[in-house]
Amino acid sequence: MTMPFQPNDFQFIDPSQRVDNEQVRTSLTYWQDTWRRLKKNKMALSGLIGVFLIVLFAVFGPLFTPYGYEEQQTDFANTPLHVEVFEIADDLYVYLTPQYRLLVVEEDGTFLYRLDQTSLDFANKQFHFDYHGEDIMVDYTYKLYEDLADEGIDYSINFRGVEYKTPYDVTSNKTFVLGSDNVGRDILTRTMYGARISLTVAVIAAILVLLIGVTYGAVAGMAGGRVDELMMRFVDIIDSIPLLLYVILIMVLVENTGLNTIILTLGLVYWVGMARLVRGQVLSLKEQEYVLAARMLGVPQPLIIWRHLIPNAMGPILVAMTMMIPTAVFTESFLSFIGLGISAPQASLGTLANDALDAILTYPFQLFIPSITIAFMMLAFNFFGDGLRSALDPRLRKG
Amino acid sequence: MQKFKETLLTSLKAVRAFFENYYVRRVLSALLTIILIATVTFLMMHAIPGGPFSRERALPEEIIEALNRKYHLDDPLWKQYLDYMVGLFTFNLGPSFKRTGFDVEELIAMGFPATAKIGLMAITLIVVIGIPIGIISALRQNRPADYFVMFIATLGVTIPSFVVASVFIYVFAGLLNWVDAFGLNRPSSYIGPTLALVGYSLAFVSRLTRSSMLEVLRQDYIRTARANGLSRFKVIYKHALKNALIPVVTYIGPMIAAILTGSFVVEKVFTIPGIGKYFVQSVSDRDYTMIIGTTVFYAVLYVVMVLLVDVAYSLIDPRIRLGKKSE
Repeated sequence: MTMPFQPNDFQFIDPSQRVDNEQVRTSLTYWQDTWRRLKKNKMALSGLIGVFLIVLFAVFGPLFTPYGYEEQQTDFANTPLHVEVFEIADDLYVYLTPQYRLLVVEEDGTFLYRLDQTSLDFANKQFHFDYHGEDIMVDYTYKLYEDLADEGIDYSINFRGVEYKTPYDVTSNKTFVLGSDNVGRDILTRTMYGARISLTVAVIAAILVLLIGVTYGAVAGMAGGRVDELMMRFVDIIDSIPLLLYVILIMVLVENTGLNTIILTLGLVYWVGMARLVRGQVLSLKEQEYVLAARMLGVPQPLIIWRHLIPNAMGPILVAMTMMIPTAVFTESFLSFIGLGISAPQASLGTLANDALDAILTYPFQLFIPSITIAFMMLAFNFFGDGLRSALDPRLRKG
Repeated sequence: MQKFKETLLTSLKAVRAFFENYYVRRVLSALLTIILIATVTFLMMHAIPGGPFSRERALPEEIIEALNRKYHLDDPLWKQYLDYMVGLFTFNLGPSFKRTGFDVEELIAMGFPATAKIGLMAITLIVVIGIPIGIISALRQNRPADYFVMFIATLGVTIPSFVVASVFIYVFAGLLNWVDAFGLNRPSSYIGPTLALVGYSLAFVSRLTRSSMLEVLRQDYIRTARANGLSRFKVIYKHALKNALIPVVTYIGPMIAAILTGSFVVEKVFTIPGIGKYFVQSVSDRDYTMIIGTTVFYAVLYVVMVLLVDVAYSLIDPRIRLGKKSE
């Protein structure tokens, strides 16, 4: 019988080369683990990037625009995203706004000033403007008569006896990148400020919800018994009709609809969901051994809640808070949309959408820009919240 | 004497059993909720500083007094409250402050048909489209169809109804001129409001159905049924679907809430003469009786709907009816 190994097959190695003590996997803390799984989730990551972008847009955007949110240039009201520049003389460029105003512009489309209208000939559809004593005539007859319809144009501009039918250039709006509203305010600037207000409302309301909800839920869960039942019955009653109705009632009641009242109202109404969640968490966590140990060591109850229960329930609380932000953004824009929100001259995204609603068929971009911003904001926070939830879900945790 | 005591005891027991019955408790709590909400609304409206007739330009003293007398606002609070509660249960909600000549219940009755039509169409659409979409998506998990449906559903959950409504008007009424931009005068006018109303709930229901279906399909009894030779179709529709739909049924309550509140916006955007439009208008007009009336109407409608859903639910799932009070 031959031995499979000979003693000479083995040799001593240097202790530094030993591998048996090496840990196969570094241990991760709760948040490191969450972050690791969040990074793998493409949707959550794009949500996070979206949140980052929208915060950047709202917080730092206004620093880069030349206008204030209430700065009006009524001469340049309701200008769209694209402008048709006509060259009617050497170095004289004009642009006709959708409101039939004639503006003198630079070659690249930057607005300079508005020309005075001298006469309106509605019967013949010819409008006259005064350019330093000379007459500019805008002819709208192309839409009026059948035989002229073949030209396929809406109007022509006549100056010094020459008729200009086609624009010299169609450029983007250089003065107002995303157009201007009905009193000549820059829509981009208004949207940035609107996003800022919507975000402020949402974030502070979410913090308020966190404070009230966590306190209420933790007290109810920790007290247990009769107190708990009474406190939760109260929550049930509040929750038994749509929360939005309370918000509307309170907003009607307070009349003065500033930023603070909206935030306060949202906080005062939406805490119930958070309270229910925290109570459930506390009820299950307080039976854990470490709580028993803390209690035996004489730690007072408030400290147990603060140091042991809340940190352990932080995951679901954080998810609920992230999800609260899109809800608050939505509720705030909803309120502003039905005329109960932020009052002028301040504007949230909902107010902007509401203001633009009347002219939706003429100036749709005024409605679309704030609407897209709201949708983007909600999408980003929802993606991020969903991702955070699955990253924190113990059932999805692998090894 | 002994006999009397026994009769008393048995009748007491019967009364107690009556109140411990799930349905009785459920109806009572619904009633209590309605009374509480009516009270809270009433008190809130009466807490408004200056009363309903305060304007920027103050009215003469005598006119305010006359107005107060006309609307019984000079009665003591408890009497007003009593009158109001009695009125509530006899469907008499008092005159509208701003639309003189109309009672609140008349206005509600005028607006209700339009709101109900759109709401019912929305609910039908959610059930008929949302649930099948969720099932298909679950059966095609991680395939293009699934990704497509879930992408659309995520958009649906996040895009506010007023955006859907206004984009719809711009594209189909403005650019294409296929439908009217407002009102409910033609059958095609229902498309826009219904779409804007279902957006959120449709997306939510299909997502819920999908995830719940996936959960059920992983269960052992499904594998057993397949192993026993049942067809895939039969397993899915006879065994899996029944259990998968339980979480979906629980969503009906929030769904009704979403449709009710959604109707505010949709009726405003499409100028539909429904309750939602009256409500929004009464809010901006500060028409207090109308606000109280519509709020209570919404609350009652909602509470009754949820009650019906709960009763239906307890019939489907006996665990609810027989189980402990809560938890």
